[in-house]
Amino acid sequence: MIELEGIEKTYTQGEVVTRVLQDISFAIQPGQYVAIMGASGTGKSTLMNILGCLDKPTAGHYRLEGTDVVDLDDEGLSHVRNQKIGFVFQQFHLLQRTTALKNALLPLIYADHYPEEAEELAEQALGMVGLSDRIDYRPNQLSGGQQQRVAIARALINNPAILLADEPTGNLDSRSGVEVMAIFQRLHREGRTIITVTHDRQIAEHAQRVIVLADGQIAEDQTIDRPRDAEAELVALVPNEENNG
Amino acid sequence: MKILRTAQEGLSSLAANPLRTFLMMAGTVVGIAALTVIMAIGKGTESQVMRRVENFGPRAMMLVAGGGRTIGPPDSTVTTLTLDDVRAIREEVPGLEIVTPQAWLSGAGLRYEAQQIKATLWGIEPEWHEAWNWHTADGDGISHEDVATMARVCVIGSSVKRDLFGGADPIGQTLYVNKVAVQVQGVLERRGVMGASGGDFDNRILVPITTAMRRVMNVDHIGGVRIITSDADRMPEQAEQITQLMRARHRITPPVEDDFRINSPLAIAEVVRGTSGTLTMLLAALAGLSLLVGGVVLMNIQLISVAERTAEIGLRRAVGATRNDIFTQFLTESLSVTLLGMILGSALGSGISVAIRQLTSMPIVISWEPLALSLGFALLIGTFFGVQPARRAARLHPVAALR
Repeated sequence: MIELEGIEKTYTQGEVVTRVLQDISFAIQPGQYVAIMGASGTGKSTLMNILGCLDKPTAGHYRLEGTDVVDLDDEGLSHVRNQKIGFVFQQFHLLQRTTALKNALLPLIYADHYPEEAEELAEQALGMVGLSDRIDYRPNQLSGGQQQRVAIARALINNPAILLADEPTGNLDSRSGVEVMAIFQRLHREGRTIITVTHDRQIAEHAQRVIVLADGQIAEDQTIDRPRDAEAELVALVPNEENNG
Repeated sequence: MKILRTAQEGLSSLAANPLRTFLMMAGTVVGIAALTVIMAIGKGTESQVMRRVENFGPRAMMLVAGGGRTIGPPDSTVTTLTLDDVRAIREEVPGLEIVTPQAWLSGAGLRYEAQQIKATLWGIEPEWHEAWNWHTADGDGISHEDVATMARVCVIGSSVKRDLFGGADPIGQTLYVNKVAVQVQGVLERRGVMGASGGDFDNRILVPITTAMRRVMNVDHIGGVRIITSDADRMPEQAEQITQLMRARHRITPPVEDDFRINSPLAIAEVVRGTSGTLTMLLAALAGLSLLVGGVVLMNIQLISVAERTAEIGLRRAVGATRNDIFTQFLTESLSVTLLGMILGSALGSGISVAIRQLTSMPIVISWEPLALSLGFALLIGTFFGVQPARRAARLHPVAALR
């Protein structure tokens, strides 16, 4: 369903040509939970932007559910992002002065058909991440972990083909980070395709498969036989006073 | 409709940032308010012009003794305008329907029994009634025979009737004008108070022009000539002919100043418009400047806003907003701001116009036209100054915006 073939990305600045990605090829099956790992400067953000249809490769093919998105124009890419991809960012990227509910349903605003039951869908999505009692809260009234969970609800609302997370725990304390991982693992069990980009080995090991990038190339593509279990980690952590993290 | 939803996003953003929205709007509010006041004054002035012209007679001219001033009573010290001039105009200027002389004496003393008042004395010919479209309500007007015989008769205005005779019937009664006895043979239709001076038009007494000149005033010059042309389009040309004729007869060659002047509806309109002209110019400058500066401020705030909201734009692009969607949202913000500014500005301007009407004598007419014009300006400014920031927002690359 996700197929990358000979992906290459170069940036040209004057005379200098920087090769950020070269000869990246891999496939991800539906329902897989994959982590893309690498130190900073290895091209993992660029790869994540290409996977998220935010950017186009210089060469190669990227087939997403049968469509080669390399052929699409800006509007076509916007449409693919809207319909097939759910983003979770390190900085949450919630609209300030806007309720959790409105934040969660934002992708529906840009859909071709705005569902009549948009608000119910947003409530359901917030319910899935345990925020049913926070739907009218604004980002500044929520903790970091809660904000990231609103972002996950937003990513889920259009029922995307891929949930794409870029350092989703990077701005969170360890407990909130593990909670987010627990949510990802639960979503994976429910059949979602999840791709996490991270530099953190521990976070990566919550996935079934880890693709390691080095110098813009795939250095390693390994299967994790026994991924870390976020639920178990949570139990092991000292219980926080009610979960405000 | 997706476009409505993206527009709605713009509105939400405005509502969430009231101070920013207010700053974006301020110039438009002031500009539109000034525009509204200008239009109210302009329309008021025009309706006053119309009224004055209507009053004066659209086909009428006045040849008045004494140069200089444009309107107002004739200069009684000028003695060069005579009945011979009137005859000359009748004979030499074609296309005139009525040419009728009139003599003036303001503040003439009127006495009836023990009652004494002051009124304006008018020496007239019978055509005067037609030329001013002002006839008697009771009794008879001045006739040719009255003029020929220097008859001791008069027609009085309704104010004179009221002040001198009270409720009694004045017709057939004898009153004294500056000690000359005249018999009342008619009462004029009531005209009421008119003009900027607020003078009482009905406080007048009409006598045959010969009676006025020989018996009352003892002069051989007249105050003015009322002229009705048969074709209003020819008025400028006829006025010029009359001017040349008078100069020739009075032996005046420029640069010597004329000892007469010709009033026409055009001249009157000019005078009325002149009084509000300065204020209108000032307000127009204010309106233009406010709208321009307001537009530039709006554009600047929007540009800053786009820079500040880069992450927001990136996020919207990431969740599926197209360039058009972003453009629509930001243009909606600018347009809504100017439209709201227009509504507030129109309300403010109308309020100020009403206040001006209450506090001054300036003619003010509040109408819907300024609204239409303001709407046009608001859309124009919102679009003109909103497109650039909206385009910049739409051009942001999502990857760069999210960084």
